[in-house]
Parts: sequence; C-alpha cells; structure tokens
Amino acid sequence: MKRLFVLVGLLALALLLVACPGQQATPQVTKIVETQVVEVTRIVEGTPVVEQIIVTATPPPAAPEPVTLNINWGTEPPTLDPSLATDTTSVGLIEEMFLGLTDLDDETMEPVPELATEWSANEDNTVWTFKMRDDVVWVKYNPSTGEVEQELDENGNPRIVTANDVVYGVKRTCDPTTGSDYAYVLYIVKGCKDLNTTEADPDSDEFKALYDAVGVRAVDDFTVEFTLEYGAGFFPQIASMWIARPQPRWIIEEKQERWIEAGFIVTNGPYTLSEWVHGDSIVLVKNPHWYGWKEFADEAGNIERIFGLMIEEASTEFALYEANELDTAGVPLEQMERVKTDPVLSKEYVNQPINCTYYYGFITKKPPTDDVRVRRALSMAIDRKTLVEEVLKGGQIPANTFTNPLNFGSPAGDPEVAPWALPEDMGGWGYEKAVEEGRKLLEEAGYPDGAGLDILLMHNVSEAHARIAEAIQAMWKSAYPEMNVTIETQEWRVYLKTIDIDSPLEDKPNVYRLGWCADYPHANNWVHEVFNPTEGANEPMLTTDDPQVGDLVAEFDQTTKQAQTASQEEQLELYKRAEQLLVDEIAAIAPIYYYTRNGLAKPWLKRVWGDPGRLHIWKWSIDVEARNAAMGK
Amino acid sequence: MTVQTRTARLLEAQPERRGRSPLADAFRQLLKNRLAVVSGIFIIVLLLVALFADTAIFTLFTGGEARQLLAPYPYDETNFKYHDLGIMERAEDGRLFILGTDALGRDLLSRTLYGARVSLAVAIVASLVSLVVGLAYGLISGYSSTRVDNLMMRFVDFLYGFPFIIFVILMQVYFKALSRRGGAGFAQFLVDLDKSMGGLLFIFIAIGLINWIGMARIARGQTLSVKEKEFIEAARAIGASNRRIIFRHVLPNILGPCIVAETLAIPGYIFLEAFLSFIGLGVNPPTPSWGLMISDSFRALTVRPHQVFVPSLALTLTTLAFNFLGDGLRDAFDPRLRGE
Repeated sequence: MKRLFVLVGLLALALLLVACPGQQATPQVTKIVETQVVEVTRIVEGTPVVEQIIVTATPPPAAPEPVTLNINWGTEPPTLDPSLATDTTSVGLIEEMFLGLTDLDDETMEPVPELATEWSANEDNTVWTFKMRDDVVWVKYNPSTGEVEQELDENGNPRIVTANDVVYGVKRTCDPTTGSDYAYVLYIVKGCKDLNTTEADPDSDEFKALYDAVGVRAVDDFTVEFTLEYGAGFFPQIASMWIARPQPRWIIEEKQERWIEAGFIVTNGPYTLSEWVHGDSIVLVKNPHWYGWKEFADEAGNIERIFGLMIEEASTEFALYEANELDTAGVPLEQMERVKTDPVLSKEYVNQPINCTYYYGFITKKPPTDDVRVRRALSMAIDRKTLVEEVLKGGQIPANTFTNPLNFGSPAGDPEVAPWALPEDMGGWGYEKAVEEGRKLLEEAGYPDGAGLDILLMHNVSEAHARIAEAIQAMWKSAYPEMNVTIETQEWRVYLKTIDIDSPLEDKPNVYRLGWCADYPHANNWVHEVFNPTEGANEPMLTTDDPQVGDLVAEFDQTTKQAQTASQEEQLELYKRAEQLLVDEIAAIAPIYYYTRNGLAKPWLKRVWGDPGRLHIWKWSIDVEARNAAMGK
Repeated sequence: MTVQTRTARLLEAQPERRGRSPLADAFRQLLKNRLAVVSGIFIIVLLLVALFADTAIFTLFTGGEARQLLAPYPYDETNFKYHDLGIMERAEDGRLFILGTDALGRDLLSRTLYGARVSLAVAIVASLVSLVVGLAYGLISGYSSTRVDNLMMRFVDFLYGFPFIIFVILMQVYFKALSRRGGAGFAQFLVDLDKSMGGLLFIFIAIGLINWIGMARIARGQTLSVKEKEFIEAARAIGASNRRIIFRHVLPNILGPCIVAETLAIPGYIFLEAFLSFIGLGVNPPTPSWGLMISDSFRALTVRPHQVFVPSLALTLTTLAFNFLGDGLRDAFDPRLRGE
C-alpha cells in the first residue's frame, strides 16, 4: 500500500514538472497554414454526405446573420406529412411549408387564392374546378451548401407544382394504406369514403378501380376538378386544408415514411425545413423561390429563419419569453393577472377570440351518464361565468353551443339554445335557476341531491385542465352535495385512445374533456364531423337505438346531413336545431367556453394574429436592431 | 474487609441493574438525544393535528356531522371569488385566511392540516404493512431450512430486480383502471373503500407491497445471527417448541433493529406518496396531499411563492423529524454506542 502511495506521489510530481515548464519559456511560434481543405463526412438522415470544408486562418467576412425568429412550437410535431397531420403543431408547421389550393383570410376566414387563382362550381355545387398558377416550384434544403435549391426532374428541369400533385395528395389522404386519421373530412369527395373504407388488397384490381374512381382529376397541368358526393358551398374552405394539398410523389415513393425528415422533404411554401432535432427544435428557412416574396412584397415580412423549440410547459415558455429567448409566447394561467397589470407586459399582451371550443363530453352508454336527465343536470351545474372570470381570467366567453361563434351557422349566444348555460346578462337563466332545474332533473332520475350518483371525470395531463376539472368538481358538489366525483388524468396519447369510440366501454370515464378548433369555419366541421352518429368521430357513442334519446339522435343525424345541401338561410335554422339537440335535448356534451388567445409579442416583432393553425410567418417582421439593443448586444 | 464491602456493594447494585429492561434502557438513551426528542414531540403534535383537524374521529361513533376543530375551513370549500389571497389576508366578507388561499380559493392552512392526515396515514400504514409482512417473511426464511431459505430469498432477489418506482406507477395505473371498470365481490369492496378514503387505500397497498422486501432481508439476517446464539440452544435443549423459540426468544431480539430500519424508511414513504400525487397517480382531488398541493402551485412559484412554500415546508419538516427520530432510535438500540 505504502509503495503505491509513493508511486502516485512520484507520478504527480512528474506531471507537475511537465505542466510547468518554467517561467522563462517563450511562446512557440507555429506557422499557420493559410488554406486547407478538410474532408468531413456527415450523416444526414442515414445518408453519408461528404463535405469539403475550406479552413482558413482568417475567417472570410461573415455573411450577415439571417433574420431569425425565435418561437416555441409547443411540442414535438407527431408528423409533418400533410396527409397524416391532425394536431395544431403539425398543421401549423405544414402551413408554413406547403401551399393549399386556397388559403383563409386572417380576419374574415373567407377563402382567398393561394395555388388556385380562381375557382368555380357547377349549378348544384357538386363539381368544383380550380385554376392553378404555373410558377410554383418544388424546393429542398441542401444541408451541404446551406441553400434552398429547386428540385429538378430526371431531365434537369425544375419541378413545377401541377394539378397532378394535387390529385396525388388528395388520393393519398383517401388511400387506406396511408392511414390518415383525417380522411373522413374528404369523404365529401366522391369515392373517397369507398376507397378509405375498402377491405380490398392494395394490389388488387378492385382497389385500383376504387383509387381511380376518387372524384378528383387533373383536367390539364394547371386545372384540377373535384366531383363531390353532395353540393357543398363551403368546399373552397375544405380545399384550403392540409389534407388536400399537393404532395411530391417522387420523393414520397422513394423515401416512404421518412420523406418528411430534414434533407429529404420537398416543399413549395414560403419556408422549408432545414433542421429537425427530434424532441428539441425545428428550424425552418426562407424559400427564396416562393413567388409571394415578390408578388406580395408590401405584405411580406423579413423573417429568413425560424428557430422553433418544443417546450410543453407554458410556464417555461413564459420564462424564456421574459428572458428575450422567445419573440412571442402564450400566457400561462398563473401569470394572467401579472401580465395584465404589469406596465411592460400589458403592452405586449394580445387577447382575442379564436375559433376553438372547450367542452366536456358525456359517454352516453356508461351509467349513470346513460340517463339524459343526469347529463343535463351535470351540464346545468357548471357555472361557466364564474369559471371564465375567476379561474381562467383570460377573457374567455361562456359557451352554450358547440360551434364557436366565429363559424358560419353558429347559434352561439342565442338564448333559444340551452338558455341555462348562459348567464343572465347574456339573456340566459343564470346559474341559480339552472341549478334549481338540475336538482329537479336529478330527483326525477332517482338521485335526490346527487345521492348515489358516482361520476368519473377524466382529462389529459395538464395544469390548466386539472384546475378546471377541480373547479367543476367543486361546482357539482355544491349544487348536488351528495354526489361523488372522481377525477382521473391520463397522458394525451393514452387518453385519446381511451375515449375513442371503438375502445372498450369499461375503460371509459363518464365525462371526458376535449377541445375542438375549426379546420374550416363552417358549422359542418363542428356538429357533423365531430358528433354525427354515422359520419363523425362520435366519442359520446350516440346511437339511434338509445332507449331514451334514440329518436332525437336520429333527428340530429338527419339535421346535420340535411344542412350540408341546404340553402344558407335553411342552414342557419338546421344548425340551430342541431345544437339544441346536441347540447340540450340529447345533452351529449356540455360546452364550457369559447377560447381566447392570450398571446405576447415583443415590441420588436410585428406579427399577424390569425387562426391558430395558420401563423402566416411570412407576414411577420422583426426589428433586429431593437432586439439586439434590448438584449444588450 | 475491603473485599467484603466491595462485594456487598456489588450485590447491592446488582438488583438495580437487573431492573432495567433493554427497552427502558433504549428509551432512556433516546431521551438524551435532544434532536430526537424534539422530532418525536413534533411528530406527536402532527399526529394530534391530523386526528383533530375536524371532528370526524368522533363522528365515527356518534354518526353526527363532522365539524372543524383545528382547521378553520373544510379542505374542499371553494370560494372562487377569493382565489389567490396572500398570507393573513381577509376576504371581502371578513373571513380571515391565515395562510391565504390557493387558485380555487381554498384555505391553504386547512388543506395543509388535512394534508398531514394523508402523509401520516401513509407513514403509519405503509410502514406497518411492510413491517408485518417483511418481518414474518424474513423470520420464516431465516429460521427455516437452508432450502426453504434459499427459495424464499431468491424470490426477494427477483422482486428487487424490478425498477421500484415504475412498479409502483404500474400498480397505481392498474388500480385506477380497476376502479374505473368496477369489479365484483372483494375487488368492488376494495374499490369502494378506496373511493371513500380519497384514493389512499391503493397507495397503501402499492407502497406496502413493494417495501416489505427490504424489511424481509433485515429480519432474515437478524434471525440467522440470533438463532445460533447459546440461549436458543439452551431453550432447544430443554425442549422448547419452535413456536415458543420464535415468539419468546427470536422475535423480541430482532424487533429492535427492524423497528429502527422501518422508522428510517418512513420519510421515503411520505416522499413517495407526495411524488405519486405530484404526477397525478396519488390521492384523488380534492383530497389534499402535500404532494398534490405542490404540483398544483409550483408553476406559480414566481408569482405566489407562499402557495408552494407552505406544503413544501410541512413536507420537509415532517421528513426531517422522522429522519432525526430514526437516527436517535438507532443510536439508542445499538449496543455498541450505549453507555458511552
């Protein structure tokens, strides 16, 4: 042992001697090689790319730093594939990278030209023809040069976005082998449902016939024609959706599901993907070949690079915003009062309604919520006004309908629909009267004061949802003191599976939480596509053979189907009836509030606040000097 | 002469020494440890607070209505208008909230006092379960033949291989699914019992089911060393039955170290409950648990720090107290440190 210590000591001494060559030592002069070419092999998405890096002693004058926008995408996007996206993060990213036939105006939500310059329909709105522009190119980010390059075909000509790309995109969404969860929105296109629901083998002739029969075709290179199942005046709004966008067939067929990765993905929008560090960040860069930079020069901003993080915690996002690490952010619940009163933050604060509704759904097959009286009583005992004013404090609006007021056909705020959900100053019953009625209903149903009523309420993990759930639990307990409410939480993906219509009933709660944001601003996207018992997602499990409300469900089914082909005035009536059925008479859901955006933007950022899924970052601009000054650079 | 007096003194002193039982000895030793005494008093006070936060303990016998005794308000009384009050702030209707209110306007002091009930219940029940199961298992294993001992201990090793936290989480997920699906017979009885306890029962089971394995190892080790002692041989030589040897000779001698080990494990249980509640797998809201209260408010740390500090302080002090008490007990029971 002792010998070991001596050894270690000697070694340390030797090291010391080597490390300190003495004070007299003069700095060594080494000759600096002027230029040197170094070969570096980088792996870009599995493909080795050999790069030649020129190393010089004195760096060449640096190119000006690209104008970078720092934002938070909010989470890792599950996909960037337009056919597969279902969530706002994916859709928001796709919106920046892929152009649609139409776009929606930031304020009016009316369809405006994008790829299509004009469109027309036949008399009964069943055949729609879109004329497309011919100067949109497919581009790809080249990681070795750092440039966005035009995609070339086999002959070396730049690839142009054509009607065939649109046809491919639409058919790919309908194709069951793609596995799109949003294909049902395109069921409006003739043959899409047949293809999407077919059991035929993908290689069989039957399948090919179905594939060819989908009602979308390229009349010529820049004209695309849709044939619909029924006449729909809102089809141009559906044409703006990501699931109906042109897609680059050659790259999808070559790379399969990996085509959305950085280095592979081919896009046509104002920005394209340059880097995707999974779970950490996504970087988009400007596509200089996009026609809009010249054509809409007066509207376009100056953002050349978008650096987006994936932070899920609202409070972390807010802290980064306060540290100038993000240029724009949302306001977490607990900071709401501070933001509103703080002299600096209150000026950066934006509060405006957005096209989303927060609601609780009832599983109508699981006792005790299989009783319509129980469902109505529960919905009545939610004090929506107190909830938005004292718990949420973000200017949200109490909801009495599912369809958000920003949509065509929404009867929101109309006291003829579920008046008990509205406070007195909005023409409704007010909370006290609603609770009184609810007590009567519960007594009828055999639960006086809620005795014997045992409700399981489930929501996905989130602080805001938990707070709302606890508040509503307290409201129910104070209205019906004997009832028992259990709250359970699940992680988002598990949660979605639990409440899916096809998952086993015994795993389901009585009450589930969800929100819905418009894909296109029309009531059809709400009452029909979410709750129609045959063609919607239908999480409450509505059926026409329900012993209590079967007839009403049948009426609801008919109403939302009729509304699709009805005239505009008739639609208003029909959608109102549908909401009365959905919220009041069947009480499949309890709408709670209409969302508002509680956003913050730094003074140096000029941005538009449109639809949450359409950021339109190309319109934003940053005053870089002001930002640098604020950050002390 | 001198020899005789010394012997006489020894004889006089002897009965006194014999009168001190090992337990009393340990207790005397414990009293000398000031930190342990303070901790013990703290835990006793906490226990009283938990029992008498309201009068529920008496209503069990009278069937009457539970009223508040120590806690100013019921833990689930929600006043949406008076949310986020500060310390010693009065609401508009003149009610005083000594430690302020949380985001839903519930009194923080009341919730913290009720929270002691959850934490202490977990501490006591989980440690009792683990002590009883682990002690019995270890004793049987240590006292049995080598083959049985081997078999039983390999099973414990096997359980040790499980990632502990994940196992508890899985169990909680299973129990939650069970209570959602409902069951028949005994399962339904457990589900109902759990609901009436605010979700506590399944936490007891989950924590207790896992923690006995450490106790089993300690108990087995102690048994192995005790059963070779001469007094066991003596007992066996005079024909004592196995049962008598286990209960009269082995058990009393291994109990001390086991209790000490269990006391030191209690802070772990309290933390585990807080952790489970923090990630949403613990007690059902609105049942207050310190972990749940922290998870409700930790994001507002910069804006309303007292909402986090109150339950955190309670949690910290309680775990510290159990740790100090456990340390004191170990010193008191350890013969090598005695008499210094």
